[in-house]
Amino acid sequence: MSQLAQYIAEKRQQKPILSMTHVVYGYPSVQESLDWMATLLEAGADFIEVQFPFSDPVADGPTIVAACHGALHDQSLTVEQCLTDIGQLGRDYPQARIALMSYLNPMYRYGLEKLVKRCAEENIQGLILPDLPYEQAADLRTYCEANGVDPVWLVTPVTPKDRLAFLAKEATGFLYCVARSGVTGNSNHNGGDQQSLDEYLAEINSHTSAPIGVGFGIREKAHVDALKGKADVAIIGSALLDAYNKGGKEEGLKLFNNLFNS
Amino acid sequence: MQSNNGYYGEFGGSYIPEILYSSQQQILHAFEEAKNDPAFIAELKDTWQNYSGRPTPLTFCKNLTDYFGGAQIYLKREDLNQSGAHKMNNVIGQALLVKRMGKKRVIAETGAGQHGVATALIAARLGLECTIYMGAKDVKRQYPNVFWMKQLGATVVPVAEGAQTLRDALDEALRDWSSSHEDSHYLIGTTCGCAPFPEMVAYFQSVIGEEVKEQSQAQFGQYPDRLYACVGGGSNACGLFLPFLEEKEVEMIGVEAGGKGLELGQHSIRLSNGLGQKGIAQGFATMFLQDANGQLQETHSIAAGLDYVGVSPIIAHLAQEGRIQMTYAMDDEVVAACSLLLKKEGIIPALESSHALAGAFKDAPNLPKESRIVINLSGRGDKDIFNVAKAMNDATFPEFLEDYMADYKEHLNNEGEA
Repeated sequence: MSQLAQYIAEKRQQKPILSMTHVVYGYPSVQESLDWMATLLEAGADFIEVQFPFSDPVADGPTIVAACHGALHDQSLTVEQCLTDIGQLGRDYPQARIALMSYLNPMYRYGLEKLVKRCAEENIQGLILPDLPYEQAADLRTYCEANGVDPVWLVTPVTPKDRLAFLAKEATGFLYCVARSGVTGNSNHNGGDQQSLDEYLAEINSHTSAPIGVGFGIREKAHVDALKGKADVAIIGSALLDAYNKGGKEEGLKLFNNLFNS
Repeated sequence: MQSNNGYYGEFGGSYIPEILYSSQQQILHAFEEAKNDPAFIAELKDTWQNYSGRPTPLTFCKNLTDYFGGAQIYLKREDLNQSGAHKMNNVIGQALLVKRMGKKRVIAETGAGQHGVATALIAARLGLECTIYMGAKDVKRQYPNVFWMKQLGATVVPVAEGAQTLRDALDEALRDWSSSHEDSHYLIGTTCGCAPFPEMVAYFQSVIGEEVKEQSQAQFGQYPDRLYACVGGGSNACGLFLPFLEEKEVEMIGVEAGGKGLELGQHSIRLSNGLGQKGIAQGFATMFLQDANGQLQETHSIAAGLDYVGVSPIIAHLAQEGRIQMTYAMDDEVVAACSLLLKKEGIIPALESSHALAGAFKDAPNLPKESRIVINLSGRGDKDIFNVAKAMNDATFPEFLEDYMADYKEHLNNEGEA
């Protein structure tokens, strides 16, 4: 069993739903982003999804795009330093797990094999690359398998049924279920109504033994509560960043506690 | 050029968010079917001919030939298309495909606005809803094109993210498509993006080279010795070059934008001098201008249509194989080439196409008199009137603008009182 899946299974014995909080590395500065991650971990976040910024984040909406561009504006961020920093964070908070999210190009330039090896060394157990579809990821899959790191595949409400079944079977650490069409966050590009989330999650559950994470559009306690019993991890990104932008760590923490600790 | 499952050597592919998988597959299948449907091809050819004015002429330039004293110079006149550029060939093809797929809306990205205008034109004609993404800086720089797009009924969305230019417009168009894929088609303007866009756009543009084949045989009984095209995204170069790929004696020269110099940020040279590096972004693998950490960088050209950070995977592959020679022209050389064509041949070229002219003019004097070269005049230059006036330091232009502004304001005031 994958380390990540095992971690989720064990933690789920104590909690009806786990939290994965998203933070952009380097925004507004490297130190502030690391402090914010530590604050979330102190508050009991089960996962941090660390986004290494890319200049052209096409699956993200305005909140996260602005943070990525902000992070890249007047500092040069390296993948190596990011891995070292978040590896240390993981060692400081061994009860939680860190997953790395980015787009393919910065990872490709760093070297995919080196990336996966370094992730394993730093105990970063999950890797999310939204612009690297399963079919194009043969090399990455090989490296991941050899190093015990889980590549995280995404499925969406418009993924064809046979493909959904296939990706669900291939999932190891957890399967990232995108809750709706569009990009992350509140944006002009939110999708319309889809088949109900419950049916969608039931369909996915019928095909996989891997844990299920749900993200895109989770902003309120009711959204998190609605996932209990149907998914394992609620992924919160843009809403948390919106709160952080509005009132810093204090406001962000208020949202986190409201969603997961109340 | 047929791809190998979406790849051209090590370039191309389909690197898109999972949400777009079904729509990408739909386009892949619809394009394969349409290509093999005689009714679709007949409608395509009819629209090319009766709406866009094809075939475009192959014009011999006697004065320029005499002036350089070398190769005989011919121009492929894509400037005479409806909309004034080769962009029309592709938008007609894709818009007919949109009708075939039963979608009601098109999304497009545009830099200078040429592809945006072409898309808005065909959308108006075929009754499609149309949204154009354009960098906020480009909206300001190219307002005349924005004006026409709006008049044609398109919604123009200024993109205020990043550098606010073409690259950001492309990202935003992809984001729109991620939520609107069920009823919208992303009408990409060049031979870039995820498969099958490079292959499909190259297919629709290949009418350029196919016509040159016929016209060169008819006019001088053989194929040209050398072909020249500017390379931004690569669509006009693919259109001229690809039909000649198997004619090994025909040499092909692609001309990129040297801009103001070879420092990062001053040019758009991706395929020569070791300036670009392989990367995977915006849906495909190609040579990108990027830093050591894989962040895409800003680019510059006097011609907005060549100001792009990536390049067609087809051109990247053929350049790597040595089938296409790559060179570049600097902003000032481009303005000089534009000026020379105006004076010698009475043709107003786009600044994009003037890069191809500049590249060819450097070689022409040294080529044998019996050799023949064809330069792709991909677009007309009317749109560049402001930039060219400034580059030529025309003293009267500001005066004209001031008078025009005074008159315009007075007109608005009178309207307000009436």
